[in-house]
Amino acid sequence: MHAVVPFMMDIIGTEATGSSPPPSATTDGSNTCSSAAAPQFPAGLRVLVVDDDPLCLKIVEKMLRHCQYDVTTCSRAAVALSLLRERKGAFDLVLSDVYMPDMDGFKLLELIGLEMDLPVIMMSADDSKDVVLKGVTHGAVDYMTKPVRMEGVKNIWQHVARKKMSEVGSEQTASVEENDGQKKVSEDGDNASSGNVKRKKDEEDENEGREDSSTIKKQRVVWSVDLHQKFVSAVNQLGLERAVPKKILEIMKVPGITRENVASHLQKYRLYLKRLSGQQNQGRLDTPFQGTSDAAYGSIGAVSGFVLPKKNHMNLHVGTRQVTSTGIGMPVDHMGYFDSNQQISNAARMIPGQQWTGHGQMNLITGTSVNTESQQSQVLQTYGNMSQQSCNSAASLMNPSSSVCASMSFSRGSISSINGQSRNSIVMQMPQQGQHFPISRQQNHLSIDVPRQAQVSSQLLNRVAGEHDPRLLSNMSQQVLCNDIGRSFLNREVRLTETLSTTSYGLVPQVLYSGLQNNYTNDTVGNSYPLVSSMGTPNLTSTIMFQECVPSTGLLDPMKPDLGGVKDFTQTQSDHLFDDHRIKNEDWNFPNISHSYELAQHPNFRQNNTNFSSSISAPSDRIAAMKDGNTCSFNKEFYKIRSQQGKAERLTCRNNNVPFDNSAGLPSDGIADLICQGGLFSDNFLQGDYINEIDLLEPKELAGELEPDFDLVIQLATIEEKKCLTEESAGSNNGFMCVVCSCFFFIVFGDG
Amino acid sequence: MEYSNLKRQATSMKQNLFDQGYLDEQFYQLEELQDDVSPNFVEEVVSLFFKDSSRLMANIEQALENNPRDFNKLDSYMQQFKGSSSSIGASKLKSECIQFHEKCGEENIEGCTRSFQKVKREHGILKKKLEAYFQLMRQVGPGDRATCSSN
Repeated sequence: MHAVVPFMMDIIGTEATGSSPPPSATTDGSNTCSSAAAPQFPAGLRVLVVDDDPLCLKIVEKMLRHCQYDVTTCSRAAVALSLLRERKGAFDLVLSDVYMPDMDGFKLLELIGLEMDLPVIMMSADDSKDVVLKGVTHGAVDYMTKPVRMEGVKNIWQHVARKKMSEVGSEQTASVEENDGQKKVSEDGDNASSGNVKRKKDEEDENEGREDSSTIKKQRVVWSVDLHQKFVSAVNQLGLERAVPKKILEIMKVPGITRENVASHLQKYRLYLKRLSGQQNQGRLDTPFQGTSDAAYGSIGAVSGFVLPKKNHMNLHVGTRQVTSTGIGMPVDHMGYFDSNQQISNAARMIPGQQWTGHGQMNLITGTSVNTESQQSQVLQTYGNMSQQSCNSAASLMNPSSSVCASMSFSRGSISSINGQSRNSIVMQMPQQGQHFPISRQQNHLSIDVPRQAQVSSQLLNRVAGEHDPRLLSNMSQQVLCNDIGRSFLNREVRLTETLSTTSYGLVPQVLYSGLQNNYTNDTVGNSYPLVSSMGTPNLTSTIMFQECVPSTGLLDPMKPDLGGVKDFTQTQSDHLFDDHRIKNEDWNFPNISHSYELAQHPNFRQNNTNFSSSISAPSDRIAAMKDGNTCSFNKEFYKIRSQQGKAERLTCRNNNVPFDNSAGLPSDGIADLICQGGLFSDNFLQGDYINEIDLLEPKELAGELEPDFDLVIQLATIEEKKCLTEESAGSNNGFMCVVCSCFFFIVFGDG
Repeated sequence: MEYSNLKRQATSMKQNLFDQGYLDEQFYQLEELQDDVSPNFVEEVVSLFFKDSSRLMANIEQALENNPRDFNKLDSYMQQFKGSSSSIGASKLKSECIQFHEKCGEENIEGCTRSFQKVKREHGILKKKLEAYFQLMRQVGPGDRATCSSN
């Protein structure tokens, strides 16, 4: 859950949270933080410092310790991201350098804001106004000029407090006032402007605002799935360009939300879409809105809500833009929206404009109701577009169809690409390219930024899972994401070949599944498989399997919230790939699973041939894994599923965006790709073109690789499954049937 | 006696460094961070600085010789150098870095080279001085570091 909330409670309560390092400050006469302010609260603040300069790192760390903060340092942004993703809720604040060799500090800032919704303070020796302003616009809560001084470090806790207040507080927190007051006390003079800027941005209707929600003090409204859906449809109605909060508000006709709420949500949404459409996949996958790490889950839950389409048609319509970059496509994005949890809000807060390549997912799912039919085609199409980078406005993509797609690709960021962002490798790419999905990075197509994306997607997934259905555990959300995605895919004939690629997350498979199944033709809508695939897509296979399995076997009780049904099913198969996972799923993914079941239930669903039975359960496992840390640290093993086709679909989808290139309508290739690309696995994984076999990835391995990109790791169950996977694939277009469980896996190839 | 002499010497040496502008307020900050847990914090930081900066300077030197000159790269090296220098409070060095940065901005290779020479020189001087200072401090003994530092 939210780490934030508990923390906040602590503040309120008096207990210091976290592990505060033993005060050492008292030994010398230095002016330590411990003497300042309420000892409980600031003490134990968990700070992550990222700076490539070891000297600065050492000094800042020491200063922080003097304030009795709990410090973690890293010198690489990628490592920081993976840390953050792995341990959601383990940090309260991030201090980051601006100029770093492996990643631009601002990008990191954005990603963190989107995925984890943590306050980030920038540091640099460069104090030129434009750089400082850039920090502000990207959502930094503060900017410290080096050399960093104790005074500057002492008060950083205020940002955490502020954030918590806005989160915890119900809507209409007097955060604005606080904001003003607190902003003024920022250490650097440069910061002073940030407060103003932030406030200004609050009012902004344009999608220029890039601040993440944490910086915007708006009343916190929980963007539930429904709410978000309304929002999205309102935006679609107006057209993204002309969507202004006021009008949106009018269209939505929802009492209790203010223009500010809508404005901030719109901002996020825009950033998100923007990210999806054009950002390079920096790798940073904007992970699915994780919002706060916890929140992410919440949102996931929301997403799940999506997934569960009560009706068959889930309109992924997320808002068109939703192309959550995170491959998760899922509603993840929406997650923020969906769930009332703050998390959702967080997710929602994600500024749309931001590049959410990773977030892509969000959009997709937002629609919650994915219209299977229409959506799917749309989705697929969108994917196709996406890959093309043309995705302009995610909106189009996102539209239900796109949303679906979005989810698919999620791998990390890619989903966002649905819009066509090239980067976002969103699944879409897959089909088109024929080539493997570049897990984004490379190609313009939606390249799912694998590295980051994965994270994002995972996050999204996580979030999604959590949020949405109560059933769904947060973990599930991820799954859900997949589901959604999968669903959409399903509809589409996407044969998402289950890019078995490493499915980092079970979720992905789901997504893929959906697409793949195509036969389902959209039934996916109902299925909210946790498309973990977004993560990396490989999951698709799993997800798909999942879904498929359900119907086919009939064992699954689609509607059953918990996997139980599935589990049984899969169990019997026992050789299922996901066998292991399934069992494990119990813990967490149930909710997701159920969703998938639902999907499965769906008549359409059943049709599909998904034999994915085993996968079903797997996803949950995966999801679970995912949630753990975005990184695919699943306990399960991850299999890297490689596309057989040579195309290198990167099965291992790195989280990045599984670019969905699906012009063809979610070609399985694309989808799988997308999913896989989700960045589940770092690019390394997917290098191979067609990988005909599934490599069992050790969790560690996965984690290492996946991170940060991949979101989804499809965990193929056990070795048996693995074997099974490798076997059949030959035939079917890009897919193969698992001998063990008769699950059909599609291998998604890059070339649609 | 000996001890207090040493102490006095160390103190005045440090004071000199400040007076002459080699060190600035940031150095005090570092000293304040020194405590029982890390009694040699300042020295550690300073040695780390010199180690890093030597490497950076080698890079810069290399980049200066490359053709075509990549000013962006030079600038980013310098940016980092400046950050480190300011982190330990090496103010003269920092000023030279700023100069270099300006020359980079102008894409004035001559100016850059000259400026870099100055940087190198300042770096060498500071290193010597600080080494002497720390040597003295070591003689003074850990116990007194704090008091000495808190001048």
